[in-house]
Amino acid sequence: MIPLVRLAVFGFIALSVIYVLVSIYSRSVRRERLEKQWDAAQGPGDRAAFIAAGMEAYNKGLRRRLLWLVYIIPTAVVSALVYLLNFH
Amino acid sequence: MRYIKWTLILTILTLVVSVLHYTLPQTDIVRVVATDTRRIDFGENQFFWATPDVGTGAGINRDVKFIEAVRPNGRVIVYRNEDTGWGWPPYFKLNSFNLQAEASNLISTQAAPRWVAVKHYGWRNEFFTIFPNAISLREVEGPDVRIVPWVNLVVIATLIFLVFMVWKMLAQFRERVIDPAADRVTQTLDDIDSRRRSLRQRIADWLGTWRGKPRR
Repeated sequence: MIPLVRLAVFGFIALSVIYVLVSIYSRSVRRERLEKQWDAAQGPGDRAAFIAAGMEAYNKGLRRRLLWLVYIIPTAVVSALVYLLNFH
Repeated sequence: MRYIKWTLILTILTLVVSVLHYTLPQTDIVRVVATDTRRIDFGENQFFWATPDVGTGAGINRDVKFIEAVRPNGRVIVYRNEDTGWGWPPYFKLNSFNLQAEASNLISTQAAPRWVAVKHYGWRNEFFTIFPNAISLREVEGPDVRIVPWVNLVVIATLIFLVFMVWKMLAQFRERVIDPAADRVTQTLDDIDSRRRSLRQRIADWLGTWRGKPRR
């Protein structure tokens, strides 16, 4: 069982690194899009306030929650493989 | 310089392709003729053998299960049948003993052949005494059945997607973090430069006053 524990621990660490990197990337892409949106329309309102409101919406949005798939998909794939390759 | 660059690119490409060719599954259609177990003392070929069966201990040698088979063209191929367990490559194979029983069940003679699709990874190489590792067996109609390598297609598509994402992330990082920082550094250097020039100017002016020149 030790190798399984080792796989789980190192897998969790690796996926956490990927999760952090992807969430930074996703946030950065969203901020850039908000900036470009404001610059193109020169509005509405104050630039900083517009971006802050947009990021607030992003923090509560579905897209940010979808980042949990970084953990869910590999775990599901590994579980499916163990079942299909050994017990199917 | 160009030769060095291309040598490097070709070396990396060869390594990546070899690793993929070794690790990704391939399917052979063969006739199983025997199954048995032999003790193997691992030497310099140790790298090409998997781990001890899940839950068993590691020694300097162990018994490895083998599946012997004949291809439709009459040439022989020998597979090993080892657990990959929770390590590399990620087949999570735990059922080598069951697979051995299935293989024994599928043994057939040349007179009454039963064709079996053997999914495996790895290489057979006589110089190192290494064998491909059988992953699964399934009986098929005949030796000419067409098999679409779905797993390989999905894995390679996923790898290309991951490389693309890494490239996009690096481009974003560069655009949003590195370039602005570089701009700031350039700006600061310019500021220092212009300040230093004006300092030199002021010293020159002060020296000028000794020679009777008025300050500018």
